[in-house]
Amino acid sequence: MPFETNLLQILFNSLISGSLYVLVGLGLTMTYSLTKFPNFAHAEFITLGAYIVYAMTDILNLGLISGIIVSMLITGFVGVACFLMVFRPLANRKGTMVHLMISSIGVGIFLRYAIQQIWGGQELHFSKVHFAGYNLGPLRVTSLWIGIILTAVILVIILHLILTQTKLGKAMRATSNNPSLAQASGIDIDKIIMIVWFLGAALAGLGGFFKAADTRIVPVLGWGILLPAFAVIILGGIGSFYGMIAAAYILGLAENFSIIGLISLGISTDYRTAIGFVVIIITLIFAPTGLSGINFSKWFKRRRPHEGEVME
Amino acid sequence: MSKIKKKILMLVAVILLVAAFGAGCAEKQAPSETPSEKPTPSEQPPQPEVIKIGVLLDLSGDLGAIGQKMKLGAELAQKEFDSLGGIGGKKIELVVEDAATDPAKAVEAMKKLVEVEGVKVVVGPMTSSETLAVAKYVNDRNVVIISPSATAGKITELGDDYVFRTVGSDDLQAAALLDLMKSRGYSKIATFVIANDYGIGFEDYFKKYVPEMVALSIRYDPQKGDYRTELQQVKDAGVDAIIFVGYVDSGKVVFRQAADLGLDEIDWLSSEGIAENVMFEDAKTADFMAKVEMIGTKPSSTGFTYEKFAEKHRQAFGSDPDLFSDYTYDATMLAILAAGTAPSYDGPQIREALKKVSEWYNGATGYKLFDENGDPAFYTYNVWKVVKTDTGFKYEIIGHWAPATGLELIP
Repeated sequence: MPFETNLLQILFNSLISGSLYVLVGLGLTMTYSLTKFPNFAHAEFITLGAYIVYAMTDILNLGLISGIIVSMLITGFVGVACFLMVFRPLANRKGTMVHLMISSIGVGIFLRYAIQQIWGGQELHFSKVHFAGYNLGPLRVTSLWIGIILTAVILVIILHLILTQTKLGKAMRATSNNPSLAQASGIDIDKIIMIVWFLGAALAGLGGFFKAADTRIVPVLGWGILLPAFAVIILGGIGSFYGMIAAAYILGLAENFSIIGLISLGISTDYRTAIGFVVIIITLIFAPTGLSGINFSKWFKRRRPHEGEVME
Repeated sequence: MSKIKKKILMLVAVILLVAAFGAGCAEKQAPSETPSEKPTPSEQPPQPEVIKIGVLLDLSGDLGAIGQKMKLGAELAQKEFDSLGGIGGKKIELVVEDAATDPAKAVEAMKKLVEVEGVKVVVGPMTSSETLAVAKYVNDRNVVIISPSATAGKITELGDDYVFRTVGSDDLQAAALLDLMKSRGYSKIATFVIANDYGIGFEDYFKKYVPEMVALSIRYDPQKGDYRTELQQVKDAGVDAIIFVGYVDSGKVVFRQAADLGLDEIDWLSSEGIAENVMFEDAKTADFMAKVEMIGTKPSSTGFTYEKFAEKHRQAFGSDPDLFSDYTYDATMLAILAAGTAPSYDGPQIREALKKVSEWYNGATGYKLFDENGDPAFYTYNVWKVVKTDTGFKYEIIGHWAPATGLELIP
C-alpha cells in the first residue's frame, strides 16, 4: 500500500462486525446447547427482525425503540412457534439431529419466501431513522455503530448474570447439561426450552435490525450472516457461551484485516467470506472442541450427545 | 468429540459451502455444452403468422428496478407496430423472460426462449456478464441477440457474430470519464468497481491508460452489502476522486456507508449504472449524491428523436422514460424491422436483415448503424451531475462527449 492505513478505524470496524456476530451467534449457540441441532432457520429470524422494525418505523411510524421492542417480541414468538410446530413434533417422533437440521433449512426457506411475498424482493432502507456520524479523534463513528457495540456488550453482561446469578440461568445450564436429570430435579424443561427459543430468536431479530440499518434490508439478509455465525460458534466451541463471544471478535478482526490484503492483491473483497470457511475447517481439523475446549468450558461443557437423542 | 458429531459439523460446513459458493460458481461458468442438432442452411422454416420477439431483461435482482422500466421501452415499440396492424400484416408477440441479474439464470431463460418458444431474435440480455454468458449458445443456435445495455469492452472482441448492441462500448465511456477527470485536474484517483465484466472493464481501462493516476483499485461484491473497511481504505489513500462503477442496489449501500464514514471531501464520479432515478428513492443516498455533487457519464439520451420517444412514452405509460428504456426501444424496433423484413423467420436471414435496416434506422438514441463487430458505429455520451431541485433530485445534463469532438461542457 502506498499510503498509511488507519489501523484504529479498521480495529473499530472489526469491533462492529464482531458485535454483530455476537448478537446473531448468541441465539444460535443458546438454542443449540438446549435442543442440540444447528438451526438454519435462525437466518430468517434475523431477516424477519429487520423487516418488522422496518414495518414499525417506516410504515406504522412508531418510534425506533418501540419498533425494536415489537420486532423482538414478534420474532421471539415466531421462533417459539417454529419450535412448537416443527421441531418439537419432529423430535418427539424420534427425529435425529440430521432430520431436524434439514427441516430447519425448509422452515428457513418457507419464512424467507413469506417475507418476500409480504415486502417484495427489492432492497429497502430505513428512511425514518437517522444515525449521526462524527469524528472522534482519528476515528469516524456513527451513533448506530456505537449502538451495535454497546448493545452487544450489555447483552453479554446481562446474559452472563442471568446464567450465573438467577434460578432461570441455573435451570438453563442444567437443561443444557443433562435434560433428563434436570427434569428429574423438578425443572420444567419444556418451559426452559421455550424461553431459550424465544430469547434466541428475539436476539437474532435485534441483530438483524442492526445489520440492516448498517447496510440494507433484503430477504437474504440473514442468510448472508449465517455462515460467519456458524464459523463463530464452531470456533468458539459449539454451545459455549464465552468461547462464542471471543470467536466473534476474532472473526471480525480476521475479516476486516483480510479486506486490506484482498484489495492489495486486486481480488474482489467478497472473498473475505472464505475466511469463515477457513476458520471452520482449521478448527474442525486441529481443535474440534473450539476455544471452549481450551479455556471456557466451565459452564457449558456438555456431555457428548448420542445419535437420535436430540431432546425430550 | 464423538465421530457422529464431527460428521454433522462437516455436513453443516458442506451445506454452507454449497449455499454460499454454488451461485457464485454458476455465474462464472460459461455455457459449455454444444447443441447436438444444428439447423441446416437449406431448411426453410415456414413464415409464421405471428412474429415472436424474445425479451430477456433483469426483472428482478440487483437491476430489477431498471429492467422493469426498460420493458416498457420494448412494449412501446410493439404498440407502435400494433397500431399499424403489425409488420407486413403479421402480429408481433413479445415473449418476456426474467434473467434476474444472474448470468446463470440468463442462460437458462435464453434456452427457454429458443427451445420452448422457438424465438430467433431476442432483445437483451441487460448486463455484460449475461451477454457474454449467452454468446456462445446463441452463436451455436444462430439466434440474433440485441442487447440494449451491455456495455463491456469484451463484447466487441466477440467480433462478427449474432451478438449486437444498441449501446456503445465502455472503452469509449471510460475514455469520456477519463477526459472528465483530466478536465478537473485530478492526479490521484481510486476505482471502486463491481466485481463483474462491467466494473472490471472500467478498472482495466484506467490501469492501462493512466496507471500512474490509479492509487487504489477495489472490486466489490454486490451481494455483500457491507463496504465500510473498503471505503475506509479509499479515505486513507488520500485521493482526489473516487470512480464508482456499479449498480443501483449495491450503489445505495456504498453511498450510505460512505456518508456514514464522512467520505464526502473527495470528488465522486460514476457511470450510467447508477444514473437512474431509483437512487433518489432513498433520501440518505440522494442527499449524499447531491452533497458531493456527483458527476458522471451515460450513453446519450438527448436530442430531437429522444424527445419524440419520451413524449410517446409519457402518453403510453404516464411516466418519463428512464435509464436505457430508449436503448431498449431501439433494440426492439430493430428486432421487429429485421424479423419483419427477413424473407423467413430464420436466424441467419434475420441477422442479414438487421445489418441492412440498421443502415437507415434513426431511433430514439440516434443513428443505429452497426459496425463490423455489432457495436453501434456512432455514439455520444452525456455528462451528468446530481443536483437538488425544489421538488427533489435529478441528473442534470452538464455536457457531452463524442469520439470526434471530445468533451464539451455546457458553460
